[in-house]
Amino acid sequence: MTNGNQVKSLTGKKHNFGMVIDVDRCTGCGACMIACAVENNVPPGPVDATDRTGITLMRVYKADNGMDFPDNESVFFPVSCQQCEHHPPCVSVCPQNAVEVDPATGIVGQIPVRCLGCRYCMAACPYHARYFNWWDPVWPEGMERSLNPDVSLRMRGVVEKCNFCFHRLQAAREKAAAEGRDEIKEGEYIPACVESCPTSAMTFGDLLDEGSEVYRLAQSNGSFRILERLGTGPKIYYFSEREWVRNIAEKDPASALKRGATTD
Amino acid sequence: MLPWVYGFTWQTGNIIFLSIFYSVVAVILGSFSIAAIRAFRDLKPDRLDEIRWHFDFESLPEFAKVCRHAFTGEVNQRVCRNGFDCRTCKVHSKITGVPRITKSVYSEGEIPFGLKISANCLYHRGHTWVRVESDGTLTLGLDKLAEGLVWSQCEADLPAVGTRLHVNGTGWYFRKEASRARVLSPVDGEVIAVGGRKEGFYLKVNPGNDSDLRHLLKGLEVGPWMTSEVERLEMALGASDGAVSLADGGVLLDNIAANYPEQGWEDILALMLLES
Amino acid sequence: MDRNRNNGTKDIRLVARGVNRMPFGKFLYLLVPWLIILAIGMYAIFLCLAKGLNQTNMDNRFAFGVWIFLDLSIIALGAGAFFTGFLVYILKREELRAVLNSAVVIGFICYSGAILVLMVDVGQPLRAWFTFWHPNIHSMLTEVTFCITCYLVVLSVEYAPIVLRNKKLKEVPAFLAMQYELHRIMPVLAGVGTFLSFFHQGSLGGLFGVLQGHPFAFREGLAIWPTTFFLFIISAAAAGPSFILLTTWIASRVSRKRLVSDNVFALLARISGSLLVVYVMLKSIDTLTWLNRTVPSLGLSGIGFFLWAPFNIWILFAEIIVFGLVPSLFLLFGSGRLRTGWLVASSVMVCCGIVLNRFVMTIQTLSLPTMSFDRFMIYTPSWQEIAAFLFVVAYGVIIYSLSFRYLRLFPQEIEMKVN
Repeated sequence: MTNGNQVKSLTGKKHNFGMVIDVDRCTGCGACMIACAVENNVPPGPVDATDRTGITLMRVYKADNGMDFPDNESVFFPVSCQQCEHHPPCVSVCPQNAVEVDPATGIVGQIPVRCLGCRYCMAACPYHARYFNWWDPVWPEGMERSLNPDVSLRMRGVVEKCNFCFHRLQAAREKAAAEGRDEIKEGEYIPACVESCPTSAMTFGDLLDEGSEVYRLAQSNGSFRILERLGTGPKIYYFSEREWVRNIAEKDPASALKRGATTD
Repeated sequence: MLPWVYGFTWQTGNIIFLSIFYSVVAVILGSFSIAAIRAFRDLKPDRLDEIRWHFDFESLPEFAKVCRHAFTGEVNQRVCRNGFDCRTCKVHSKITGVPRITKSVYSEGEIPFGLKISANCLYHRGHTWVRVESDGTLTLGLDKLAEGLVWSQCEADLPAVGTRLHVNGTGWYFRKEASRARVLSPVDGEVIAVGGRKEGFYLKVNPGNDSDLRHLLKGLEVGPWMTSEVERLEMALGASDGAVSLADGGVLLDNIAANYPEQGWEDILALMLLES
Repeated sequence: MDRNRNNGTKDIRLVARGVNRMPFGKFLYLLVPWLIILAIGMYAIFLCLAKGLNQTNMDNRFAFGVWIFLDLSIIALGAGAFFTGFLVYILKREELRAVLNSAVVIGFICYSGAILVLMVDVGQPLRAWFTFWHPNIHSMLTEVTFCITCYLVVLSVEYAPIVLRNKKLKEVPAFLAMQYELHRIMPVLAGVGTFLSFFHQGSLGGLFGVLQGHPFAFREGLAIWPTTFFLFIISAAAAGPSFILLTTWIASRVSRKRLVSDNVFALLARISGSLLVVYVMLKSIDTLTWLNRTVPSLGLSGIGFFLWAPFNIWILFAEIIVFGLVPSLFLLFGSGRLRTGWLVASSVMVCCGIVLNRFVMTIQTLSLPTMSFDRFMIYTPSWQEIAAFLFVVAYGVIIYSLSFRYLRLFPQEIEMKVN
């Protein structure tokens, strides 16, 4: 697919960007969802949009331990595209190469201008992290002036998803190049959701860089990934000190039947 | 898709997939083109007649394709697969080579439904007769059944003198208003004279040197064949419809056509003249 | 019944010789309801194309809805075209010529209808050519797109001579010659059609079998193909003849004529039954392997998939036993003994079973949660979705009716009048 060598020669170094989300610190405030939508020019949903048809490239799910008050504890899972590392389910299914993995950064990219809107990738994604533009994008009067000039708009009828704010990586690279550096520094490139998190629950960085914070957290004891058993190697790690929270990630959905799990 | 299009790689999978795809496209387009070219070449009157007969014969129901030797009982049950052309039929040459006792219910000259069968005529399955004249020429005409079916007042497009006829090709056409019926030619040869309505529509044909009339019905075969054709006619007319029935075994109505809706008649006539 | 041959048939010049057709007025009258459905469906399609897919009730979770499910179903039912062609031209089962033309028309309707709905279903129909221009050969959908498009071309070429043989059209010399020459290349096309059908029926199954993110649909397999690839081929090959049997019977009832001899029905039933027995066997083995090996290896319990009402364990039972094993035994052992009515009823069950299987693979797969904090979801199609699909049904009925009236779909029809 993409020619890896070409991209690599620009940066000189191979990255594998990933994220660790400390769900013990997540308050479920949804700032990341808002920041994501604003950063990526996601249009406001029309009045008849629902939580099933709206576009939330980052979405916060709630889960709990299934106990009754006062033992009830809940936890929030901000779920975006998990940037699967190993055979991402969405890449191989796309009939026209509109989903591609950038070998230089490990970022799974969606190319909306090439997308047919067949939505096979959405059906393939176990995280439901892909979204379809059911409507034409419409911005209320005046709001179009707040659009992010670095992100192209998507038209009706195509699929989109989180790409770790790839445009921010490009901006960071340009900045580095302007300053005569070959490489971006740690912390120079972080996605909007990470930047906006008020409790600093999200840590972003290069999983190949053994000195980075994200590497340390990803390798730490409390880290886990959602649906790791599917073998897709998601690059979004979650972190919790609580064992029941860590167990949620791999739990059989059917076992939650009696507890009435919800995405609200 | 193509080496210079973005996304193309020389991976094995890609090459296999695209090779298969292009082969399939080539086979589809190739065979279609061959068909189109052949069809273009087929646009010659003789060839078209051949194709028309092939089509008409294939469309005949099984019961209309009974082998002539089944009429005489020489074989028990057999359906013709050779376009009624016994000249090239292996079964025919095998059967005619061995004299057999036949069990036809009709003796020569006996007439079902009052249809006259002439003993010195050969019959073609398309309801024409052929008489070999003493000078070696052939006379062709419509048999009694077809004569009774053709519109009483119609025009005939008889071939011009000099036209070459081919077995199961077009003999001539009857025409009435927008309707028309095609009479199959029973023999190969060159038309040397034609007779119009007054003479009862006949053609005189010079068969040339190699006149082969083995495919024409004769003798004991004609009676049972004619009977089966009358049955076929009855069926085409709609057997239970009392208006036009032959079931009484009586004399064929002089002019059935007049009693039948104009448009529907063309079909019945065509069916009896082996056109589908 | 109108015994008077084609009385009142104004279009008699177009009707094949030797067959009876109802009066033209009555024919039109019977088509009116379908034309109305066609018009409503056309409006729904217009809405979906003009305003976008927000006209449907599909959502980000039900990215595939009733359209994909029904597309898969009608493509499976349309498999009779390739399978009959394969039996007649490749395996020389000449008896099946009696239904071959009808099967080609059915196949053409099913495939063209499916492609039509797919074109409405995708978000950007004008980009459909992208799949051809820069295909991702690893995608089952690419395989499906290529094969279905090629196969529709094949079906059109197979349909063409049937149309050209119309009484009026064949009077044009070029048409007469063309239909004859097309008929001569038919064995080649039947071979190509069989090849293409094998691959796209299989790939439609592979579409779901490869979904490693959905353990409910995911299957291990042979080489690059999951087991669903092979199961879909066999089930489509089994359902095809059943659907041909069913449509022939319906055509025969509506026109009140015998169209094929009983032994053709029996042969179709026997073919369908024997393939279905094989299918049920393989499907059972596959289900057991999946329950006992694939699912546990993913850390799940297989039974967990069948706890979500309304898709409880009954659906598995219904698919394999009630609509699989039962009709397959009826068809296999009943052909030649049972009356046609029983065979027809069994065929209906076979078709229902295949449709149910496609339903399970599409709708149930998407409704089941994948993550533990996820929800079980169902969805109700909008009227636009239903209407757009009914458009295809009406289109099929109209095309088939016109073909039945003006083309010679059943060569045995004239003979059947005798018996």
